[in-house]
Parts: sequence; C-alpha cells; structure tokens
Amino acid sequence: MTSLMGHPSGQTVGYSFSQPTAAPVKEHSFYPYTDNGGSTLGITGSDFAILAGDTRSTSGYSINSRMVPKVFKIGGDDETGKGAHILLSVVGFAADGNALKERLDAVVKMYKYQHGKSMSVTACAQRLSTILYGKRFFPYYVHVILAGLDEEGKGALYSYDPVGSYEREECRAAGAASSLIMPFLDNQVKFKNQYVPGSGEGHALQPKKAEPLPRETVEQLVRDAFTSAVERHIEVGDNLQMMIITRDGIEEIFHPLKKD
Amino acid sequence: MNHFPEAWGRPRDDVYGAYNSTYLQTSGPKAHTTSPAVTGTSVLGVKFKGGVVLATDNLASYGSLARFTDVKRLRVFGGKAVVGFGGDVSDMQYIDRLLESIDIRENYSSHGNMLNAKNLHTYLAKVFYKRRSEFNPLWNHILVAGFDADDQPFLSSADLLGTTFSSPHLATGFGAHLAVPILRRKFPDERGIETISREEAIEALKECLKVLFYRDARSLDKYSIAVITQEGIDLREDEQIEGQSWAFAETIRGYGSQTS
Amino acid sequence: MTSIGTGYDLSNSVFSPDGRNFQVEYAVKAVENGGTAIGIRCKGGVVLAVEKIITSKLLKPGANKRIATVDRHVGIVSSGLVPDGRHFVSRARDEASSWRGTYKGPIPISALANRLGGYVQAYTLYSSVRPFGVTSIVGGWDSEAELAVDGQVGTGPKSGAGGKVEGAKVGGPGLFMIEPSGLYWGYYGAATGKGRQAAKAELEKLDLSAEKLSLHDGVKEAARIIYVAHEDSKDKEFELEMTWISSLDGPTQGRHEEVPRELLDEAEKAARRALEGDDEEDEGARGSGEQMEE
Repeated sequence: MTSLMGHPSGQTVGYSFSQPTAAPVKEHSFYPYTDNGGSTLGITGSDFAILAGDTRSTSGYSINSRMVPKVFKIGGDDETGKGAHILLSVVGFAADGNALKERLDAVVKMYKYQHGKSMSVTACAQRLSTILYGKRFFPYYVHVILAGLDEEGKGALYSYDPVGSYEREECRAAGAASSLIMPFLDNQVKFKNQYVPGSGEGHALQPKKAEPLPRETVEQLVRDAFTSAVERHIEVGDNLQMMIITRDGIEEIFHPLKKD
Repeated sequence: MNHFPEAWGRPRDDVYGAYNSTYLQTSGPKAHTTSPAVTGTSVLGVKFKGGVVLATDNLASYGSLARFTDVKRLRVFGGKAVVGFGGDVSDMQYIDRLLESIDIRENYSSHGNMLNAKNLHTYLAKVFYKRRSEFNPLWNHILVAGFDADDQPFLSSADLLGTTFSSPHLATGFGAHLAVPILRRKFPDERGIETISREEAIEALKECLKVLFYRDARSLDKYSIAVITQEGIDLREDEQIEGQSWAFAETIRGYGSQTS
Repeated sequence: MTSIGTGYDLSNSVFSPDGRNFQVEYAVKAVENGGTAIGIRCKGGVVLAVEKIITSKLLKPGANKRIATVDRHVGIVSSGLVPDGRHFVSRARDEASSWRGTYKGPIPISALANRLGGYVQAYTLYSSVRPFGVTSIVGGWDSEAELAVDGQVGTGPKSGAGGKVEGAKVGGPGLFMIEPSGLYWGYYGAATGKGRQAAKAELEKLDLSAEKLSLHDGVKEAARIIYVAHEDSKDKEFELEMTWISSLDGPTQGRHEEVPRELLDEAEKAARRALEGDDEEDEGARGSGEQMEE
C-alpha cells in the first residue's frame, strides 16, 4: 500500500489503463451560422395578406446574388407552388431558411395526402412553431413570417422568433432592416402616434383608430417601406418580391429596387 | 518494483511525475475539421448564350506555401455537369469519390445517368448542410455548372454551411471581391445572357484569372477552363495565363526600384 | 446413381457417401433450363449475349434487361433463376464498390470473379441456405492505361522516381464463368443455359485462343451462336440481348454498354442468313427460308 500512498495528492493514481481523464474539452472553431442579410415584411387586410422581401443575398460586404427570393408558397402541387394557400417568408441564415422552408412544405403536403384536405393556416402556424422549437438547442437562425387566410377568409399573419415563439399580428417586419421598417408600419398600419385632429388637448387627445387597409394602400406601403429601407441599409436592395394571397389565389409581383 | 504490473516498464512517477494521460485520450470530443489544410482559391463561372464557362487555377496551397501546382479543381459529373471546387482539397477528393459512386450507380439503369447540373447542385448543397449541422463541415465553396431540366444554362453556388445562391456570373473566395465586379461591368443584368457569346464569356474569365493572378497571393498562372454546352464539355486542364504586364510594378513605391 | 430416397439430397452442406452435394447438382439442373447465355473474349474486348425467351406477348420488347452492368467496365449475364441472378449482380456491384472504397480504382475482372466465386461457394456450406440457381458469365475490360485513382488531382512526376513506366503491358479483356458450386474458370469463350452444348461446339470452331477475333466479328459470331443454339427450341420466340466492352481506343472506351441498335440488327440479319444457308444445305432446295424467318 505504501507505493500507492507515495503519490502526490490531488492527482489520480496512474496505474489503470482505462483511466477517466478530466481533459479540457476542445473548442471547435467552426461556426455553423452566417447572416445573409435582407429584409421581409407582412401586412394583413380584411380579405388578403401580403408577404414581401427583397431579393438580395449578402456575405459581409459582398453581394452574393441580386435574385434570391425570400418569400415562398408552401404546400403547392408542383415545383412552381401552384395550388398553395400558405405563404412563408424567411430571413437570416439562408441555408437554415431553405431547410426550414423545405421541411414545412413537406409537412403541409403530407397533411394533404394523409387527410385529404388542406392544412388550415392556424394548424400550419402551430406546426411551424413546433418545428422551430424542435431545434431549440441548435436553432434555425431565421426570422420567419407565415401568411394565409383564416377560416373566415380574413388575412392571417404569424410572426416567429428563431426558436418558435409566435403570435398572430396585423403587420410585422423582420430581418436586417426590421428596426427601420417596423416603426413605419406601426405608424402607417396601426396608426400609432396618430390622433384625431381637434379631439382634445393633452391626454384628452383621441388616438386614431386602426382599421384594416385596402389592398392598394398596403401595396404602396410595402413599396415605400422597401424604397426607404434600401436607402438606409446596405444589405437590402436589388428587387422587391411581393406575394399577395386572396380568395382567388396567390399573386407574385417583382419591383426593381436600387442596386447600390 | 511494486505490485501493479500495468505500471512496470513505465517512467517512475516519483521520478518523472504522474503520467499526463490527457495525451492519450480514448474518450472526449471527436476531432472534426476545424480549419482547412490544403486549399484551392477562387472558382469563376459565367453563363452565356447556350452554355456556361467555369474556370479555376491549378494551385493547391498549404497555408502560404504553393504546395501542388497541377491540381485539377474542375470535376466533370456524368458528362453533363461540371463542379468547380474551392477550399479544402481532401474534402474535394472525398466529394469527387462520392460523385463517382453516384454516377456508377445511376448508370446501372438502362437510361443511364439522368441527373442534371441542377439536381447535382441540390444534392451537394444538402450534403454540405448535413455536414455543417453535424459540426463536421466539408470545407469547400463550389460552383456547379451545366443545364437544368428545361435545358437552360445553369450556374449555382454552394458552400460549407449549405448556403446556396445563383446568378448569371459567380465567383468564390477572392474572386467574389476581384472577379465579380469585372464580370458585373462586362455583363450587367440588363444585358441578359442571350447577348453573351461563348468567346466573350471565355475572354472575360481569362481576364479575371489574370487580375486574380496579379492580386491573389494564393493563385497561379496555370489554370483549367471548362465550357459546357449542349454539345458536351470542353475541358482544358493545362492552360497558361497570357499577356501579363508587370510594368505597373515600377510605379509602386515601397519595394523594388523605388524603396522610399 | 440416383439420390432419390437416400436422404443425402435433402440438405445443403451434407455430402453423399460417394462425395457429392446433391443440392448443388439440382441447382445446375435449374441452370440447364435457362435461356442460352454466352461470352466471347475477343482481341479488342468482350461480347456478352443471351437468348431471352419471350414468356408472354404482354412483355414489352426490349425491356426487362438480362445483362447487367457492374461498376463501369464489367457486364454479367446469367442463366437459370432470374431473381438469383439479380441478387448475384447486386453482390457483384457491392464488391466493385467496396474495392473502390479500398483501392480508389476499378476492380480487376479476375478479382471480381474470385470474390463472386467465394460468395457463391459459401451458399453450398450451410443447411440454412440453398445454392445459387444460376451460372453467371462475367466479362469486362481491365484498363490498359494507367488510370487516375478516384479523386486524384495531380498528374504526378513525368519521369524519375514515381514516374510512368513506358510500354508496360497491363490490362485487357477478362471473361469468367461461375457455377452454382462456386467453381469458376477463366475462358476464351463461355456458354451456359439450355443451348450450351451447341453453343460450345460453335465457340470451339472460332479458335479464340489465337486471340485474333476482332470485337466486331465477335458480335456477329455471338449473334449467330445464339441463333444456332436456339434451333433446338424453335417453337419458342426469343429476343437477342447483346452487350460489349471494348478497349479504351475501341467503340465503348472501356465501358460496358449495349451493342448499338444498328450493329445488333446487322448481326441478327447475318445470323438468320447463316442459318438459312445451313437449312438449304441440309434439306436441299426447300426455298421456304424467307417464310420461316418470321
């Protein structure tokens, strides 16, 4: 026993071949994420919903491509997305965004094949949250917005954080220029900080009541939001992609934006 | 001598200190690629009327050492698509073997290998994304060139994170900074690929390679170039950058003839 | 020498007292009923051909291929139980792929035959399995040029240590036949299936060991031999399926491919003509060759 006791204390005895070691865990220098820039927004009306995004893809100060759409049709019948009734916009890490889009698309398709009816937007919204939370500890690094029409035919919009927290909203901006666009939408869609002229003094002043906006107005707001964002954010530009879902289907519109 | 035979013949702990068994780990984190070793630099690609051109130089660097000078970084798949590899050469060789086995398997059916460049790009992007999600990336940035299902020229990029994007002209690595601006000036979006001839596209890439050889310290004046058309693939792997002029070096202060 | 009632034929892996494995012999019987398959080792490549008996008018002509590709440079044709042949081919593909995994290059034909022989033989050893009901002909071309290994990126030194050896003779055609016992030999010409006796007699006349027969003549001969071998089962309709593997400078550039349509038609036409000629000699001026053809 004396030979055992002769070792310096605090060190484990080195006689066993299979010795548990308290080796420092090596750090991996590989970082699995990147930011591909760009911005998206969604607005609902009484009988429609709009999802929009720019088509620029960036890596740092470089523009990868001027034509990488961020808004997708989900659960369509073919490659073109024909027959879809749900829209999804993805912004953040594009590879994750693409993987997420493909997964949700497969889920919505499978739902239709298995149940013989289309998935409701509410069900899809919940499912998307579950998918995101399923990767809570290795998240999809994306901000997504889901849009469609609810059971009453009203525009429905759901916004998410990367790990699946979500809520239904009237409007939402996401991505690089979200901090520029969101206050604009608050003011122009929800009439925040707008008051009824001459309705009173100080606290008696009546806030202007928000009403669902007509489609033409909303489309113009989207264009204004992006032309302004392009001026102030380097990662936003090239083209504006808009998808409008109504009871008649989905319409896709492209607009040029500044390419600088 | 003690009564622990597994310690016999090993350096005595009381003389040399306890053996540091962290050097011989059998458990602990699995080693993955955390940085590339032997690497290739830029890959360039341009679409033209009826096809695509792809080019790389023939250098594989080991850090700042120009290690291998006859490396073929353009790889043909199934006689219809070409993949240009930047980044780690051993990972490129792994992917090359992967593609070889796929081509062999596809040819077992009587209609042969039906996979086009677009299919190949989708597949490779998913391989990259899967490996990055396992924290064991394939350290490459690639361009895939060929045709899509409608026989339209196809050019797209994929990288170690699984990020994908497509554009009428693309360049990876240093080329994204040096070659893309040249290509965007020569072939602005408004032109459309229908106005670009095969010769013009080849000339443009040669000029870009020359600029890269001037300014990218990890580049070489020997290069490979592949022209992919419906008629087939014209791959040249032993080309030489021509018409360089180093006259401008005289005007640079700080080294050579003008040291102050 | 019948085995009936002795009990020695009931299990694989059991010898009879006079040293026979009856299960294997029964497997050979299965082969003897299959469509005739042949392989010819020519100067510039290998030809494989099979007589595909049409079992139903509802089968699509030209579909349901019986000759399979393994890797890029090998073809396998089997006679006997078709599903057993498919499993055999599947194993061959796995072996070729595993060879690539280890050596980063195409498997030599002899090595493939060796591995497949070992595989088939293993199915004669256990009572839990039955032997393969096929005899397979494996034909291919070992590249005569020094091939780049899979994933190779450089050309290597042009001379000196590690450089290329000038004029070294490597590669060439390979033809092997593997029987249900696992026995395999290399052949100049191989035949199996129902018409093997007639086919072998014809193959022997070709003097293949002289290695003079060109690949194109080999195609013609192969077609003719299948037609000759079919004479004994004339009542059944058949389709001729034929593939080839040439040298790198030949028509298939070292790959196993179907014989092109035009050449196949030409070879079949010549085969029919040769048979008609024989008929006329045998039966005098019957003059009904044209009608007999269809």
